[in-house]
Amino acid sequence: MAINQAMCGTYKKEITVGIHFWLDHTRTGSSGISADTFKIAMFTSSRTDANEDLTGYTATNEVSGTAYSAGGAALGSVTLGLSDNSSSVPTAFLDFADTTWSTSTITGARCAVIYNSTLNTAGTGATVNHAAYPSVCVLDFGGDKSSSAGDFTIQYPANDANNAIIRIA
Amino acid sequence: MFQANGKGDVGQVKIFTSSDGGHSPETMADMAMNKIMAINEKAPAPIRDQAVTYRNNIRDVILYYLNQMAQSERTTIWALLRKQGHEDMAEIIRRL
Repeated sequence: MAINQAMCGTYKKEITVGIHFWLDHTRTGSSGISADTFKIAMFTSSRTDANEDLTGYTATNEVSGTAYSAGGAALGSVTLGLSDNSSSVPTAFLDFADTTWSTSTITGARCAVIYNSTLNTAGTGATVNHAAYPSVCVLDFGGDKSSSAGDFTIQYPANDANNAIIRIA
Repeated sequence: MFQANGKGDVGQVKIFTSSDGGHSPETMADMAMNKIMAINEKAPAPIRDQAVTYRNNIRDVILYYLNQMAQSERTTIWALLRKQGHEDMAEIIRRL
């Protein structure tokens, strides 16, 4: 299957049972829960399983180059919002600070995967399991992108209920 | 968590790259505008046109001050290099 921008199917299942922690929070009667670390990694056009069926990050066909480390970059400044979208549907949405690989030389980045890097081994033996480094979504760049002794920036969309990078309506 | 008609969506990222240097002030101004306001392509034409004009005006203001910031930063680096006795490197920075 080809590269396709999508929220991963397994992510929908995993958030329903509460596997991913985007932000610090507390639950009644329990101690505080710390946020997981989420990362974004980039891949070449050879990574043809980058679509809604992807279950977790692996380094296959990941880009390489100056200033880029395998596994990609951590997402910072995570915020969570809730408001009605243009169809008046209450929508939860996430946003991050833009990701930049400065003074980099990166060739042929075609897509990216956002994944949970805290869960570095597969969760097994429960009703709902997850892969190692479970994936959240796939981002399609629409073409190969490269930097050469320069900056490579992924800019996330406007932080609102209609445009934000990850939305649940 | 999901309603019967609920769905998860992924927004569209924009990629900005550069060669032999960082992003230009023009690129940075575009990036800022992408965050400040989004114009719905389905909006009525008069409203959309007005929004585009407003957006362009804001972009011009941002671009002007980004250029000023870049120049000011170079002045700071120039002064620092001169203070450390690197007159030749300071001159390179000044001529950027």
